[in-house]
Amino acid sequence: MILFILKRLLFVIPTLFAVSIVAFAIIQLPPGDYLTTLMADWASQGGAVEAGTVAAMRERYGLDQPIYVQYYKWMAGILTRGDFGISFELGQPVTNLIWNRLGFSFLLAFLTLCFVWALAIPIGILSAVRQYSITDYSATFMAFFFLAVPDFVLALVAMYVWSTYFGQSVGGLFSAQYIDAPWSWGKFLDFVNHVWLPVFVIGIGSLAALVRIMRANLLDELSKPYVTTARAKGMSEFELLIRYPVRLALNPLISTLGWILPAVISGEIIVSVVMSLPTTGPLLLRALLAQDMYLAGTLILLISVLTVIGTLISDILLAIADPRIRYQ
Amino acid sequence: MRLTLKARAWTSAAALLLAGTAYPALAQTYSQAPSLDARVESGDLPPVEERLPQTPYVETMIDGVGEYGGTLRTTILANGDHYNLTRTVANELLVRWDPTWSEVVPSLAEEVTASDDATTYTFKLREGLRWSDGEPFTVDDIMFWYEDVFMNEALSPSRNPTFVVNGEPVVVTKIDENTVEFKFASPYGLFLQQLAYGQGHLPVIYPKHYLSQFHEDYNAEGLPELIAADPAAGDWVALFNSKVSLTFQPPFWQNLELPTINPWVLTVPYADGERVVAERNPYYWKVDPEGNQLPYIDQVTWAKLDDPQLMALRMTSGDFDFAFRHINNATFRSVLFDGQESGNYRFVDVRDLPANDAVILLNLNIEDPVKNAIFNNKDFRIALSHAINRQEIIDLVYVGQGAPAQVAIQPEHELYNERLATQYTEFDPELANQMLDEIMPERDGDGYRLDPEGNRFTINFMVSDVFGLSYPDVMQLVQGYAREVGIDIQLRTTDRARLNTMWYANEQEAYIWNCVGGLSEAYTDVRCYMPFQKADIFFAMKWAEWYADPATGEEPPAEVQALMEAYDDVNAAVTDEDRLAQMQEFLELSAENFFHIGISRPMPKYMMTSNDLRNVVDGIPITGNLWHPAPTLSQWWFDRD
Repeated sequence: MILFILKRLLFVIPTLFAVSIVAFAIIQLPPGDYLTTLMADWASQGGAVEAGTVAAMRERYGLDQPIYVQYYKWMAGILTRGDFGISFELGQPVTNLIWNRLGFSFLLAFLTLCFVWALAIPIGILSAVRQYSITDYSATFMAFFFLAVPDFVLALVAMYVWSTYFGQSVGGLFSAQYIDAPWSWGKFLDFVNHVWLPVFVIGIGSLAALVRIMRANLLDELSKPYVTTARAKGMSEFELLIRYPVRLALNPLISTLGWILPAVISGEIIVSVVMSLPTTGPLLLRALLAQDMYLAGTLILLISVLTVIGTLISDILLAIADPRIRYQ
Repeated sequence: MRLTLKARAWTSAAALLLAGTAYPALAQTYSQAPSLDARVESGDLPPVEERLPQTPYVETMIDGVGEYGGTLRTTILANGDHYNLTRTVANELLVRWDPTWSEVVPSLAEEVTASDDATTYTFKLREGLRWSDGEPFTVDDIMFWYEDVFMNEALSPSRNPTFVVNGEPVVVTKIDENTVEFKFASPYGLFLQQLAYGQGHLPVIYPKHYLSQFHEDYNAEGLPELIAADPAAGDWVALFNSKVSLTFQPPFWQNLELPTINPWVLTVPYADGERVVAERNPYYWKVDPEGNQLPYIDQVTWAKLDDPQLMALRMTSGDFDFAFRHINNATFRSVLFDGQESGNYRFVDVRDLPANDAVILLNLNIEDPVKNAIFNNKDFRIALSHAINRQEIIDLVYVGQGAPAQVAIQPEHELYNERLATQYTEFDPELANQMLDEIMPERDGDGYRLDPEGNRFTINFMVSDVFGLSYPDVMQLVQGYAREVGIDIQLRTTDRARLNTMWYANEQEAYIWNCVGGLSEAYTDVRCYMPFQKADIFFAMKWAEWYADPATGEEPPAEVQALMEAYDDVNAAVTDEDRLAQMQEFLELSAENFFHIGISRPMPKYMMTSNDLRNVVDGIPITGNLWHPAPTLSQWWFDRD
């Protein structure tokens, strides 16, 4: 088991290295750099940026150097000092900007994951056990309906309804009076009151896939001889279902954890922008638009690391859940 | 005695004098906001008389004297919207534009004198001005900016163009404790106008007592420790720039320690939190005509949102008292209009009126000699202009919000020139065809015209979808009109950054953009009326380079040179009358040159203010460099009765 984990960990290193190169290259792809954004920005305020100032700033930020030198400096900073660079636009170390928001991103991802699984597993089981029934069809229909609705549209509509017809405050994770307040019971309730809407909007889109996976797996298992045997022995239908076929059917669900984690994080970007959540999503979008490359690069890198870690976790969980995998 | 902004005294020929509040308010007792009473009683703050200058700026009220109190709730995009803060609370300058944008009046300066050759400007500051931390604001602060920031090679690698004439930077001299002189090497009659725009803030945002600790010339020993303590600063220049920032970049709004002269000072920065807060500046230097210290409103809060749609939604549910940026366009108009009752707000006209919303800019300095000759043929431009059905574009793309026009000053303005605005705007494809037959009579099998070398004449047209002005849709229609007269336009969609690099490399053949200069900014910003080096407008880059420095660029033809000379005369004019006359002459010449093809004259935009707010200017002008409504906010007040 330990050998298995070590081997997996070893694979992580070259993957992350490759990912960091791709992340950095992607940011460099669009024409121009942060200073072109800045110049357009100043122009809109009636200012003009003199060539001398631009040249001096480009030198100060190291943007006049070739891309591999910039990459080397960035990587060297991360590996030797844990320094992810400076956000040009905000004039602050990237790490200061990210951690707080990353916390909310993880929290949101975790809550969404719990929500989706809590909903998808029972629905999947129900659909499989009552195949081609009204329950199956309506559950499947709803799941596919939400899969088809773009999440940002759902977010907008939900916010509109919630605000216009129920008079609730929408957007953000807190009401105005709790924003700068320390944590308290009231603030917690306010948080719960705000967080369920984004969790619902982000989660509901990925429901369909999980329900279908669960349903298909369980259907495979249900027709196997051991189920018939157990039933013949007089085992109660519910105990039988939960103890054997469901456990086996969960395996593929665990292996999807690897892509669910990053999907939730990146899927929340657009929803977070629409709903103004204090997560990494809006920060990444702005960083990309402003070509604030160290900030954007670090965020992309983190999302990629998350994917890799997610895959690693699901490999390990799978190995625990199913002994056969360890020996392959 | 109440003073109006129009109060102004002219000396004879020797000098021109702008005098604002030369007479102190008769009531010498001043009062303050009740929210400050406790702090004064406890000795935390000096009494209001000591906090105000000897002759405070007496604000001209829009509706009348107001009452203290309340929080102004507004909104800001969570990232990259720092100009929202600037335009709401930070536009206090030596001289200012009055709220109608018709004249420059003294502000932080009590008196301004201009020499009659338009080279020397003397500013007498109000005595007893204070920064928001209570320290005196004096000529030394302006000298600190001049000597240690503006003239410092490390902090200012090149000089801000507002303070430079013909390549020569201004010379600033301290005359006495309250008087400072700005001297230019050659006539600069537009200097006061320039200084009254947002970009004129430089001399008055550098508090010496606070910033000198971050300056190499003042604190060489202490700096290494300060630099080491700041993870974002590698040297003293980075450290200094992280404490204060010209043009109010984000670092300016993250530093709560920086003293300012604004009506409200930051207490929650524009950083990671979910909102921004500014509280009243107890040392603010303006009073109302009854001697009440401004501002009336205690606090301003900005809810940080990531998406304009959410801004509009929250506006209609009554979460904000005021909003204007990002949601004051056609997209949100109907939603916001319907939400006026539930949101308890009203629409206020904003005269954000550029010279034109959609302008076809052909590159008159294009490298290709064949295209260069055709673009520079004025008849070709006239023909193309006649080929365009402007009313159809306005009806289809701008839902009727606009009027067919060329690039021109708005009709309501004193500089309005009818010829400039309306020439060649009739939709007349027959005339266009006739004129083009003179230039390029031959056509190919598809009906497209051939250039003199026998190749199909094609314009590769760059289109960038900016400002929410639907340029791709506009150009699809234009492409169709051009086809009718045998001109082949190929549309190339691009983003702004790429277009930006093409401009500077002189690579674009033609593009579509909007044009500034619809109201008074036409005086100082003529980039759409002649080749003039500034951002975004690049129709004759090499001529503009030549104008800035005849050793570079390309010498323009005689009629363009005459136009440039006419603008030099505008800049040399000292009196308003003379400047107006010179400017009219200049615009007439510009009309004669007919550089580019305008499509639609913009209509006023709007902002939303709470039904309870008073002293709001209806029809306030706003442009890129005119950072309104900030200077009028200190007199806003809530009438909750």
